[in-house]
Amino acid sequence: MSDARPITILIAALGGEGGGVLADWIIDAAEHADLPAQATSIPGVAQRTGATTYYLEIFPLHRAVLGGREPVMSLTPNPGNVDIMVASELVEAGRAMQNGYVSPGRTTLIASTHRIYATAEKMRMGDGRFDSSKVLEAAHELAKQAFLFDMRAVALAHGTVINAVLFGAMAGSGALPVARAACEEAIRRAGKGAEASLRGFDAGFRLASGALKEDAPDAPPVAGKPDARVAAEFPADVQEVLSLGVTRLIDYQDEHYAGLYLERLKRVLAIDGTPAHRLTAETGRHLALWMSYEDVIRVADLKTRPERFERVRKEVRAKPDEPVVVIDYLKPGAEEFSSILPPALGAKFLAWAERTGRLRSLNIGLHINTSSVLGYLTMRSLAWLKPWRPRSYRYALEQSLIERWLDEVCAAAKREPQLALEIAECVRLIKGYGETHRRGVANFLAILDALVVNPATDDPREQARTVARARDAALADPDGDALAADLGRPVSLSKPVIWLSKSP
Amino acid sequence: MERSFAVEVEMLKLGDGEIFRGEGILAVTKALLQSGVSYVGGYQGAPVSHLMDVLNDARDIMDELGIHVETNASEAGAAAMLGASINYPLRGAVTFKSTVGTNVASDALSNLASAGVKGGALIVLGEDYGEGASIIQERSHAFAMKSQIWLLDPRPNLPKIVEMVERSFELSEASNTPVMLELRIRACHVRGNFTAKNNRAAPFSRRRFLDRPEFDFGRISLPPSTYAQEKHKIEVRWPAAVSFIRARNLNEFFPGDMEETGILCQGGLYNATVRALQQLGLADAFGASRIPIYCMNVTYPMVPQEIVAFCAEKRAVLIVEEGQPAYIEEAVLAALRRHEVNAVKVYGKGMLPLAGEYTGEVVLTGVTKFFEHAAPRGIDAGSIRAAHESHTGAKKRAAQLLGGGVPARPPGFCTGCPERPVFSAMKLAERESGAYHVSADIGCHTFATLPPFNIGHTVLGYGLGLASNSAVNTMFGARTVTIMGDGGFWHNGLTSGVANAVFNKDDGILVIMKNGYSSATGTQELPSSPHHSAHKASDMGIERTIKGLGVKWLKTVDNYRVEEVRRTLKEAMTSAYKGLKVIIADGECQLERQRRLRPLIAQQLGTGKRVVRVRYGVDEDTCTGDHSCIRLSGCPTLTIKDNPDPLRRDPVATVIDGCVGCGLCGENAHAAVLCPSFYRAEVLQNPSRWDTWLHQLRRAITGWLAPRAA
Repeated sequence: MSDARPITILIAALGGEGGGVLADWIIDAAEHADLPAQATSIPGVAQRTGATTYYLEIFPLHRAVLGGREPVMSLTPNPGNVDIMVASELVEAGRAMQNGYVSPGRTTLIASTHRIYATAEKMRMGDGRFDSSKVLEAAHELAKQAFLFDMRAVALAHGTVINAVLFGAMAGSGALPVARAACEEAIRRAGKGAEASLRGFDAGFRLASGALKEDAPDAPPVAGKPDARVAAEFPADVQEVLSLGVTRLIDYQDEHYAGLYLERLKRVLAIDGTPAHRLTAETGRHLALWMSYEDVIRVADLKTRPERFERVRKEVRAKPDEPVVVIDYLKPGAEEFSSILPPALGAKFLAWAERTGRLRSLNIGLHINTSSVLGYLTMRSLAWLKPWRPRSYRYALEQSLIERWLDEVCAAAKREPQLALEIAECVRLIKGYGETHRRGVANFLAILDALVVNPATDDPREQARTVARARDAALADPDGDALAADLGRPVSLSKPVIWLSKSP
Repeated sequence: MERSFAVEVEMLKLGDGEIFRGEGILAVTKALLQSGVSYVGGYQGAPVSHLMDVLNDARDIMDELGIHVETNASEAGAAAMLGASINYPLRGAVTFKSTVGTNVASDALSNLASAGVKGGALIVLGEDYGEGASIIQERSHAFAMKSQIWLLDPRPNLPKIVEMVERSFELSEASNTPVMLELRIRACHVRGNFTAKNNRAAPFSRRRFLDRPEFDFGRISLPPSTYAQEKHKIEVRWPAAVSFIRARNLNEFFPGDMEETGILCQGGLYNATVRALQQLGLADAFGASRIPIYCMNVTYPMVPQEIVAFCAEKRAVLIVEEGQPAYIEEAVLAALRRHEVNAVKVYGKGMLPLAGEYTGEVVLTGVTKFFEHAAPRGIDAGSIRAAHESHTGAKKRAAQLLGGGVPARPPGFCTGCPERPVFSAMKLAERESGAYHVSADIGCHTFATLPPFNIGHTVLGYGLGLASNSAVNTMFGARTVTIMGDGGFWHNGLTSGVANAVFNKDDGILVIMKNGYSSATGTQELPSSPHHSAHKASDMGIERTIKGLGVKWLKTVDNYRVEEVRRTLKEAMTSAYKGLKVIIADGECQLERQRRLRPLIAQQLGTGKRVVRVRYGVDEDTCTGDHSCIRLSGCPTLTIKDNPDPLRRDPVATVIDGCVGCGLCGENAHAAVLCPSFYRAEVLQNPSRWDTWLHQLRRAITGWLAPRAA
């Protein structure tokens, strides 16, 4: 029996990344080098944005040497039998390892480190992202040699598709039984977009072969000097986050409002028994966000800042000479309108809207061309209402809720620091706009009511655990089902109307 | 069509001795031409969609040879077309996916098999089983057995596949029986090469007509002919097939020095078997194995003489047979018992799993187990086990390191897909109406059953959505909704669904996804496609068809207008009208649309014409990271990124490159009153002088109004 065996290559890619073209290049290069080669794939529905694989085998002996003997090539990869594992995305590299296709004695792993999030990760209410460091750690342990860098960024920088960079990295890794020139010839023979592909190939080759180093990621911004008042009145370990809060609230309202922020936090600091003043820091973080709640004034302000238009231009990749028209999708309704009325009037108006079922129906869908003079003026004039904000209904509402929350945090801190931290963290549930916001507030209040004000246990540690569990439940699904199950009672906003049109 | 084979079809013109290089399905097409077929057809569906695409792209070559090419209405239509071979010496081939296609075709297949054929009749089955399959997991083998159609399962390399296609026609003619040739997904797409032969023109074709019709009552499916046909199958056709298979050595024996054991495998699993032996140190890369192998390229009918000869002197054999029930294993056991070969121990489904695909790993593990149990002389079970562990150890370690597994990434709607907004609207309607039952169908729209939508309670078959809704609809106080694609509508939804619902005064709601193509299978043309190739009739509208059937309540909506779709659904649910209510959700398949637009835009940009590029985006400083927009969309380009706000932790939504500007996220933000973070950006490429001037003026004025940077 002969000892020779095929070089096996598994490519894991997502639909639309040119994995098929990559397989074609490799096969073409191998065939022109007179090496027996085979490729298979499983297109079908996997093409539609799902994960898919291409599997190739190249026999490293020339046909001339084989004298008519044909190797038997496999159509599926086998665990422990993959020489080159290529993944166009980090979690796909993880999947390959999970399936046993990366083994220490054998496999060269070539993977891009960027992430394309799966629906399951994106749709979570909080943060459902898979921990990338697990994949990187596993890659370094399981692969014989690993070439890991952000190939999407390289492709983008060279105006090409990721498959070209992957191909270059394969050739540069030294694991491919075909020479560089033969690979480049295959790209040229394929025609279409060859020049761009060759640029990407070259970059991939040089990065993998060590001729070129990957650009270092941007360094995290250095914290500025802490705010003078914060520095004077708060310990060092909370100064950074509180200064951010102060800056944010001055930007949001004024110095006076930022002063209120620090006054509130002084109460917390006075009773903070957590290590490194974590309670003050976390409460400070949440308080800054809550106090800068997103009302129409804030949204209009953020949307009319010059830096916003610059960001949009960058995001949509507009060239310097290309004008960009920006149209904002807004749908203000009863809540938005009431929020800028004086408290008594706002409350009355909202009650009327709720009573007459107009809470949703009064919303007006607007497409505002914020880049036009008229559109800009409309938005900017809302932002000019900023001085009026402290006299508005929404302001009164938010401040009273904030005070209630702070009272609970402080009361809990005296009993058990962990409980106070968990209550502080519940503010995380309040986000979004419209119904999402209403749901968040309802969940927050339900937890406060059921587990903080009327706890089922006297043990504050146990109570802290129940609060944490309920908070996770509230983030588990958007309809509040998990939270309702956890609390043992429904958390309902308004009952859906069942459309009954048929009579039995 | 999603993929063009215009270049590849040149391979179909190769002659004697030239080297063909390409995919499995293209090789099958070449083999058909080398076999002198008179007609070909089929119905698209993975993994043989591309076979249909190749046939359509090769019309010139087909015309030259006088071959009739048809995209049939359904698999039943395709199988019925093989009726041309019953009375006449015409070779013909059709293709479809199995088992769903075989299910649809089985009426015609039974009749064809009973009548028998004069000309060779071949059905190329795409065995859609295992990884990448899009259908229920069953075997085609049962169809072969119940109708006595011969089933070939060739070794998956191109020379063998081509040879087996050619032999199929000979076998079919030698035994007057249609033949099925099954190709697994990976075999359909395997790229390899073989030495070509000249194409053969058929004796009768579109260029050389038949002289006259032939009548033979013996070939009609009506008693008493049917009784005679059944006897003829068993007494004449079956033995004829077995002797042809033996005489022409369609099955293969590969010798090995360890003769007291052996492996019997389906042809399609030969390579996986050899690779497993190779990994265990019992075979080399060229298939030279120490264990003898009997490779069944024909899995039905089986040849008892060959099985008995292979097993007689052995202590133990392993059967590598994918899928269940284990028809082959049971037949082998029965054959050995009948021939009183009782010494050999037969291993099969105990060593290998009863259900599921036989991937390389499964076969490796199964073969390892076999050696441990059978313990043949000369093989150290311990070293076999050690070899197995050395290959699978990394998998166990990876599970520890990755903890809990990486997130799944199932297929879903493409970026800009026109079906997604309809499901957004259905989700929004539910907020007001409460949950309602949805009868789903087959097509891209079946992806709606996955997150984030999870819409659709049952799937019963292609075009059968409305039929599957007929009883359940009457069991709810509120109306139920049925989804059907335009592909399913023409496949059989028109008759079994719409006509029948009107006839039975059904009070349901039908949403027809009119995206213009058979999109899930690779955007093939349909009677109602907006653009037609020259060989198809145009303008067979769904609306006119439905009106003709007597549907009174019919509304067409623009899919991307989510609010309008939601309102129309509500109207259908609450309408006083009793009878079928049809909503046509009109939106062209985005894959096809982009394919058409991309070169056009590139050309306009190249010639300096003004082009407005639309893209959507999310303002990161007003997004609070609740992701409700993602739960209403699932668009691949609407995703998340690190929160740029140092005070916030949860990621914010963002629109990445690849956005085609369909506008769904903006529409959703409005229809669901989500948030003010979405914007539409219109990038004016090659701007006119007026554009530039206006832009500068606007910047000057708004710049003056803008707040000063802090």
